[in-house]
Amino acid sequence: MPDLSPIYELMPRVFPFECMQARFMQTAMLGILLLAPMAASMGVQVVNFRMAFFADAISHSAFTGVAVGMILAYDPTLTMPVFGVLVGLAIMATQRRSKLSEDTVIGVIFSAVVAFGLAVVSRDRSMARDMQRFLYGDILTVTEGEVLFLAALFLVVIGFQAWSYNRLLYIGINQTLAKTHRIRIAFYQYFFAALLALIVVFSVRAVGVFMVTAMLIVPAAAARNMARSAGAMFWWALAVSIASAVPGLIISAQDWARTAAGATIVLIAFAWFAASMLYSSMRGRQKA
Amino acid sequence: MSASTETNAVVYDNLSVRLGGVSILENVSAKVPMGSSTAIIGPNGAGKTTMLLALLGEVPWSGGSVKKISFDGQPPKIGYVPQKLSFDRAMPITTLEFMVLGSQRSPLWFGSRKSSRDKALELLSMVHAATLANRRLGALSGGELQRVLLALALQQEPELLLLDEPASGVDFRGEHVFCELLENLRASRGFTQLMVSHDLGTVTHHATHVICLNRKVAAEGPPKSVLTPENLSAVFGIHMGLVDSSAMPTDVPAACSCKLCKQNKDKNSNA
Repeated sequence: MPDLSPIYELMPRVFPFECMQARFMQTAMLGILLLAPMAASMGVQVVNFRMAFFADAISHSAFTGVAVGMILAYDPTLTMPVFGVLVGLAIMATQRRSKLSEDTVIGVIFSAVVAFGLAVVSRDRSMARDMQRFLYGDILTVTEGEVLFLAALFLVVIGFQAWSYNRLLYIGINQTLAKTHRIRIAFYQYFFAALLALIVVFSVRAVGVFMVTAMLIVPAAAARNMARSAGAMFWWALAVSIASAVPGLIISAQDWARTAAGATIVLIAFAWFAASMLYSSMRGRQKA
Repeated sequence: MSASTETNAVVYDNLSVRLGGVSILENVSAKVPMGSSTAIIGPNGAGKTTMLLALLGEVPWSGGSVKKISFDGQPPKIGYVPQKLSFDRAMPITTLEFMVLGSQRSPLWFGSRKSSRDKALELLSMVHAATLANRRLGALSGGELQRVLLALALQQEPELLLLDEPASGVDFRGEHVFCELLENLRASRGFTQLMVSHDLGTVTHHATHVICLNRKVAAEGPPKSVLTPENLSAVFGIHMGLVDSSAMPTDVPAACSCKLCKQNKDKNSNA
């Protein structure tokens, strides 16, 4: 395992707050600095494809993933992402074949998966602690191993974005047109769904099931208000995500705040979004 | 145009399409002559768009076949201009970015490469849309968007250009300009053009070959012999038959300056 301590030692210097002296805060900061931009970059396409509900479904299935781990006696940190990816691919496959509308397909699979999880959990009371973690997440208990995995995933996501940003955008605008440009739509859709599912499951671990969708779409939504071009939208989303994650984590650790990190991050992201709305409406008035 | 009867770019052979138990096309046999401007006309729900989509491989057919033929035996390159681009108009993307989406691999967040930018601008100016390059795609009017979509289709260097209702959502003048533009491009680039239309005015102006469709092919051939009152009322119903359409193919006012219309006019004055 590579030694991350030089990066950790850098943390209190870059972020000169007392709370950043603690190693768990340094790990958490590194984790969120990897996770937030990843989620935001995928969020650009989630907004373009109108897949917010998809992300919601995957995040809720994470909890069934834990339940599946209990049944099979496997480590839930392993079954959760695997199960999430499988559900993501299943939704995508059904969507592509079915005449039903996308939200209906997602709603049906989503409820079946959650019902299965609830059925398992209702048999076993000892899962209550895991439930807690599932609902609120806990970025502060992220392990170094998980941070390393996040770093690997980060490279994959950025590579994927660099390689297919234009194609995904094209598919998001019009599939038939994209097809005449010989873009293999199915391949991109499945790859995107699988990668998104992985990120969503890790976000559940970090910020809790309620906050996952926000991590994906709030920076992208703010970016839409700010950007005039598709290229700029990507950078705006990254900027907003980092400008929410860093202060969010630090504020949540202050004595006067002591709030849940995920919720604090999302609140700050929302503040950026509100500012972007203001900016966009002012720009609109100027034009008129 | 005389060679157009000898070789065909597309041959529909006994094509049938059923979707969800409803018959959309029944035993359609028709051809699109190479180098022609062919129009499929018919009322709403006649299966016109389905004929194009079958060609694109977007709908499964239940019988018959569609053959696409090109000069060198390879499947021809197809450019497609959809009827209406239903996209999210709030999406921040410039016209220029839209034009390079399919041709540039390196992500737009690193900007567009000069080579793809130049190519896109060249295509846009070909359709008189170079000034739209830095406008937001969502802010374009119907006619402007249509020209951009045409430029995008031309990017494929098509041998076969498919247009679905090119006149819809554009005012009369815009439609006129668009058809003239197409006519000139077809002359200079030599593609075969297949368009769907329910607008007889456009067809009589700009088509060299017409397919009258109402789930079955009612008639096929040069406009003058196809657009008879009998055929039109058979396809559109009695009201359209009341229009004196036998006069339309040649007696067009001098408003249109395109090559075809001039030819028609010349032929007319010679006769």
